Amino acid sequence: MTLTDSPVAESEAAADAVGAAAPASPAETIGAPRGLAQPFMTNDAAQVGRLFVISSLLLGLGTAAIGVLLSLGRTDAVAPDDLFGGLNAYFRMWTLYRVSFLLLVVMPLLLGLAMAVMPAQVGAGNAAFPRAALASFWSWKIGAVIVVASVLAGGGWGALDGVTGNESDAMALTLLGTGIMIVGLLLGAIVVATTVISLRRTGMSLLDVPPFSWSVLVTAVVWLLSLPVAIANIVVIYADLRGRPAIAFGRPESPDIWLQLDWLVEQPAVYAMAVPVLGIIFTAAGAAVGARSSRPEAMLIVVGLFGLLAMGGWSQDYFTAPQDLRDGLVYVAFGLAAVVPVVATAGGVGELAMRGSKTLDRLLDTRMLGAGAALKLLGAAALVGALRVIEPLDLLETSATWAVFHGVVVAGLVAAVAALATWPQLLFGPIQPRLARGAIVLLFGGGGLLVLADLASGFIADDPDLMALALDGSAALNVVALIGSLLVAAGLSVALFGVASALKPSAADTPEAAGSEPA
Amino acid sequence: MFTTGFKFFFGLSAAFCAAALVYGYTTGGSHVGPVSLGWKGGVGDHIGYGVLVGLAVACLTVSLVLVSFRDADASAQARLQNLAEVLTDQPVRASFWPVVAAFGVGAAAVGLVLHPMVFVLGLALLFLSLVEWTMDAWSDRATGDAEINRELRNRIMAPIEIPVVGTLGVAVIVLAASRILLNVSKLEAVWVAGVASGLILIGAWVYTSRPGLGRRLVRILGPVAALLLLVGGVLAAVAGERDFVHHEVDTHEETGEPAVHEESG
Repeated sequence: MTLTDSPVAESEAAADAVGAAAPASPAETIGAPRGLAQPFMTNDAAQVGRLFVISSLLLGLGTAAIGVLLSLGRTDAVAPDDLFGGLNAYFRMWTLYRVSFLLLVVMPLLLGLAMAVMPAQVGAGNAAFPRAALASFWSWKIGAVIVVASVLAGGGWGALDGVTGNESDAMALTLLGTGIMIVGLLLGAIVVATTVISLRRTGMSLLDVPPFSWSVLVTAVVWLLSLPVAIANIVVIYADLRGRPAIAFGRPESPDIWLQLDWLVEQPAVYAMAVPVLGIIFTAAGAAVGARSSRPEAMLIVVGLFGLLAMGGWSQDYFTAPQDLRDGLVYVAFGLAAVVPVVATAGGVGELAMRGSKTLDRLLDTRMLGAGAALKLLGAAALVGALRVIEPLDLLETSATWAVFHGVVVAGLVAAVAALATWPQLLFGPIQPRLARGAIVLLFGGGGLLVLADLASGFIADDPDLMALALDGSAALNVVALIGSLLVAAGLSVALFGVASALKPSAADTPEAAGSEPA
Repeated sequence: MFTTGFKFFFGLSAAFCAAALVYGYTTGGSHVGPVSLGWKGGVGDHIGYGVLVGLAVACLTVSLVLVSFRDADASAQARLQNLAEVLTDQPVRASFWPVVAAFGVGAAAVGLVLHPMVFVLGLALLFLSLVEWTMDAWSDRATGDAEINRELRNRIMAPIEIPVVGTLGVAVIVLAASRILLNVSKLEAVWVAGVASGLILIGAWVYTSRPGLGRRLVRILGPVAALLLLVGGVLAAVAGERDFVHHEVDTHEETGEPAVHEESG
């Protein structure tokens, strides 16, 4: 049964999910490139979005594999030195894992979903600046290749144990690659924001846009205000690194380079990844139960507030004493307040469930399952983030930082799977429900275990160390983290398999297959 | 009345004017110097003031062009010309220039660290793609007809593109062929040149005598031959030139004429 002829689609929620009266993409009518030329020449931003999604899921698999190795290195089974071949290599992989999940996986994944789904939602045939969208994808892709290649060649974001001349060059390449990736993502954000602002169908005000489109608009604004700060950081670091002789902040033989950029993967900036997750949660839950919120403007406020709290460019502690920043009122307030929009989202989803169909099928629908799992992980991350800023708990410089990170990242992945099930006709076709559910369950389990292990270790740690080779306190926690990493990798594999299955022409071509769920 | 593009660039021009005045006065300009563009009195720091005034003039010019051509907006032009049918914006055509631009950025970044030539190549690619991209963006909306837009674009760009691509093609062929001929021995070079000339002759004969078959052959064999030439040239360049024994030239003691002692290898 298709989404458009199911009872779900007959409700108003379908307008949010699919985009009512969306004109056909004009790109289809003017000789769109086919075959191998398509990824290089496409004029359809939705196609670019799908390229983003596939690429980031593949990179996600590689990143999850690094996570498994890092977790394995924490256990007693293998010494980190044996696994990676030295302290510098371990540090390279440790930092790559974090940057990769941020810039190579979750942000491009959500940007790709936005490019593929949002134009149809707001009634635009194509996104604004489709060529810029293509440039965005390829800039990001080329930046990613440079980053991965340079890290494997001995680069990275600093080192702990001295460097050779070649490694210094590789580090410079890593920095430039990071900058190119960020520029690519910013270009995509401009495309997305312009489309929502300028290409809405006549009569649709900003207050009328569907939740996901609103959330990507907020995300684009947050990225545009935050990520240029990271580019400025990179320029400063690069100038220091390549200076003769290298001066204070760019010494390659120290973790200084990483310490100037780590704010990107810590709260509050890390929440910038999760803003579209709220939009997906609202839409997926609404489509699952066939209901629409009675107070859509409240949803806009919630998403906007979360975006405001995700502004992170100011929260750098490298150039100031950490205690001045982290104990400051603003940082604490941001940390505590981040819980509010997540709780409000939970309330919104609850209201949708109350207003919509309460049959078991609907409540166990893949979309509802994904929305619930993403919400729980995001809630856990926000809660840990709030605990982190409570000074007496002493969690600030502990692995609790990575509990927030893992919660947000895996929430993004779960939400992406829910999005694949919610908008099959705009993405890759119907993903098999059992594969989507399997991916959601595995990711949720893995993310939950990682959050728990990191948080518990943060409480137990006697000697806080963000780059600890092992989670302090208990060998059991290391095993829990390893299982969590394995589950995340397995979940991503299942999600990719689901996408690959959905891409089969026989599955996508049948009209019956356009819906993701049996009614 | 005033188009969006005009308002933007006019505002930008006003901002640059204001910035130039502030800069002029804060860097030692006299009372009327910065206001009179230096006609009466000094303007302070000449370079900064000149750059800012230049930017203001450039923006003002662009704004006037934009308001004259109604931002090149089809619907605005249709209103101005009292056309019954509003020309809608045409969707953009497929283009590979965004990818070239991205590769240019990547090459410039890699070159910045590894080699200046790669950096320059990246910048060149970036510049080229920006020019082409700009023309594509303009031509997409030049009229309401996609075919006319394409012709308009080609009419402007083809006289530039064809000579440039031709020159680059000739340069690549000459460079690659010379590397190959300099890599093999003297006798082999003669054979390579002879066989290549023969193949070109045969190809030309087939093309002229059987046009249908010739076109198909050119379509298939042309890219293959170009690829072979390029790969061969790169490999030969990496392998280096053959050993040369240079002529030793000295002067005959009595006659004063040059005397060659040894042949080249």
